[in-house]
Amino acid sequence: MILYRGKIYDDTEQSRIISQLRTDLYKTFSDGKVLSVQTVINACDTLAKRVINGDFDEIVNPYLEMFDINAEAFKAMVQLFSKESLEYKCAIELSDDEKIIAGKFVRKRYPLGILLHIAAGNVDALPAYSVIEGLLAGNVNILKLPAGDSGLSVKLLSELIKTEPELSDYISVFDVPSTETETLKTLADYSDGVVVWGGDEAVSAARKLADVTTKIISWGHKLSFAYADLNATDEQLRETAYNICSTNQILCSSCQGIFVDTDSKEDQLKFAERFFNILKEVNKKIGYADFGMRAKNAINIYNEKLEQHLTHNVIMTADGVSVICTDDSKLSLSYLYRNVWIKRLPSTKIIENLRPYKGHLQTVGVLCPNNEKRGILCNIFAQAGLVRITSGKNMSRTVAGEAHDGDYALRQYSRIFETELF
Amino acid sequence: MNPTKGLFKHKNPYDVEGTQELFIEAMRENAVFQYHNCVDYRRILDSTGFVPENITCFADLVRLPFLPTLYLKHHKLESVSSRKQLIKATSSGTSGSMSNIGLDFVSLRRGLDMVIRVGKYHKLWSPMPVNYIIFGYRPSRDNQTAVSKTAFGFTCFAPAASRTYALEKSNEGYRLCLDKIKNALKKCASSKIPMRTIGFPAYTYFLLKELKSEGVYLKMPEGSMVTLGGGWKQFYTQKVEKEDFYRLVYEVLGIKEDKIIEFFGAVEHPILYTHCKHHHFHIPVYSRVIIRDPNTFEPVPNGYAGLINLLTPMIHSMPLLSVMTDDIGILHDAPCPCGEKSPYLEIIGRVGIKDIITCAAGAEDYLKEKTK
Repeated sequence: MILYRGKIYDDTEQSRIISQLRTDLYKTFSDGKVLSVQTVINACDTLAKRVINGDFDEIVNPYLEMFDINAEAFKAMVQLFSKESLEYKCAIELSDDEKIIAGKFVRKRYPLGILLHIAAGNVDALPAYSVIEGLLAGNVNILKLPAGDSGLSVKLLSELIKTEPELSDYISVFDVPSTETETLKTLADYSDGVVVWGGDEAVSAARKLADVTTKIISWGHKLSFAYADLNATDEQLRETAYNICSTNQILCSSCQGIFVDTDSKEDQLKFAERFFNILKEVNKKIGYADFGMRAKNAINIYNEKLEQHLTHNVIMTADGVSVICTDDSKLSLSYLYRNVWIKRLPSTKIIENLRPYKGHLQTVGVLCPNNEKRGILCNIFAQAGLVRITSGKNMSRTVAGEAHDGDYALRQYSRIFETELF
Repeated sequence: MNPTKGLFKHKNPYDVEGTQELFIEAMRENAVFQYHNCVDYRRILDSTGFVPENITCFADLVRLPFLPTLYLKHHKLESVSSRKQLIKATSSGTSGSMSNIGLDFVSLRRGLDMVIRVGKYHKLWSPMPVNYIIFGYRPSRDNQTAVSKTAFGFTCFAPAASRTYALEKSNEGYRLCLDKIKNALKKCASSKIPMRTIGFPAYTYFLLKELKSEGVYLKMPEGSMVTLGGGWKQFYTQKVEKEDFYRLVYEVLGIKEDKIIEFFGAVEHPILYTHCKHHHFHIPVYSRVIIRDPNTFEPVPNGYAGLINLLTPMIHSMPLLSVMTDDIGILHDAPCPCGEKSPYLEIIGRVGIKDIITCAAGAEDYLKEKTK
């Protein structure tokens, strides 16, 4: 499916449209059009209100079910597109929009120009979200849909254009398979920036695609974990268990495991047992994870037990949840869906242990009742390369105006230009 | 006659009730052999205090530690020397890693007995030559997957007048030769001898859809068959309604539903499961199925979904007595209109099918590289 100038076309029209794309894109600039932030915000706000009113329930509901998202969480997500949230986001990210420097010239933020978004397929609405961020910074956006796209993004974006027809010049969507590198190269050639979502492979493919002068903005895969002092309270552990059970550990910000500030195996095991009991309790309260995922992990854990004579891991498991204590301090992905690793990591070794994972670190939930120590730990984690430091409870919070993986997207989609005052 | 031989030579391949005692004895015999000839297997049994000599009833087989296919992908367990493993096969590696399985003469002879009896029961044997269309690839030295070997093996049920493969090896890997298949099918339709297709259900489905979109509507000669094997693999989410599939086969090839035969088997459990006329996988005498609760691994009553655990005494060269698959299924004991009393297995899907590509999981690939 193609969305071009506000109209939906069949994929067979793709080469015809792409052949005229450059002329059309450049025309937007030569016509002297400037997209105002307020236009974008108003369109998003109207659309968000319609989503909340249930106008799109038949598209939205199956998607919520597929990803186990409850109505409340979804409402919070949609709220991020409300006028208040977007105005707040723009105020933070684009705060120094215009300045006079030394009384001699004006320094202004300007859109980067044309952005090519190469979206990942793991979250259905993500491609549309990426385009909206591009629009907020005033850019013309080309979106390459991910393989297996459900059509939600095209639907959302075409509704956005219906709400505000002025946006039609700023949004084009193509369904180019990643294997069609020549077409993608053409699209990248027209663009000032390539926004790529996905793993390292996707990012390096985008780098190969784009000209060396084209800016690459990558939103890669990240991992998050908790760090616990041995004196962490039951409440802190419960909040962390809640993050684990409610997100099923599938988000970049979900807690994969807990590093414990100790080098004693005995302390590690004692802590693990305490956490395991709390995890079981929270799991029961929230309701068990999906049957298929539980079945998969049942096999993973059984397999862990068969390999125990080689790994010497200590395994605690019940009701589809598990805690695995290992002797290493490596940052790793858990088995997901409420299966947690617990490893030893004395605070003196945090930097040395985590720095090698730079660029893939996101959130650390610090579980430490002592404020002074928590302050020290926060500094260490900031030095180690983490970008969000939260309590266990807030590891996966979404707040309007927050940075994305340690960066402001809208600034990344902008450039600074200066004009002399005459 | 020893119990295993008796089991594999049993006349009715679906007389599960009548062979229960024989099956348990055969399992005991094999478990004892594996215990004394495979160090890893002995360690696993010892760690749970299981004594293979004490197997006397089915409850003992429920207690016998199973090996997940996941474990077999990372550990090769052998009880005869590698030299004696005449046929080596690997699983198709849907999820990346593969099991390496080696079968010795003893295992193969049992397998042959099974294929003869199951083939006879389902009238797969035919002295008349047939044209084979294989929706897969030709087995070669670089391609050891069991699927390609089984596909080739199936072409032995009836003498092959010709074999046409849909996938061909090229410099960039395997290439689908649609035109070649189209021409071969047209030739088969005008031939006097029957045609048989062999392939993954998903591949067969996509190919037939492709042919339909190209306007191919044929009528295959009397006695032609569509055989399907290997399950739906990574295409579970696109699994089509069976009725739609059967209709498509009839439209494109003019072959009726009762001539569409689906097989099921795993490299780690190479028992030939064959659909009856009513499309049910009845359990053959060579195998038993335990459906287990994922939380407790306790067997669930028939009619309930759980993990599929497959048992067989067939393999002599490796301790594959009780294998836990990655599949979720239901065992039905409702009477089947085909008349067979043996319960039948319904495969619902693969575990963790909700396994979406998550951002956290993506980061893991990088970390693995980093910590190698």
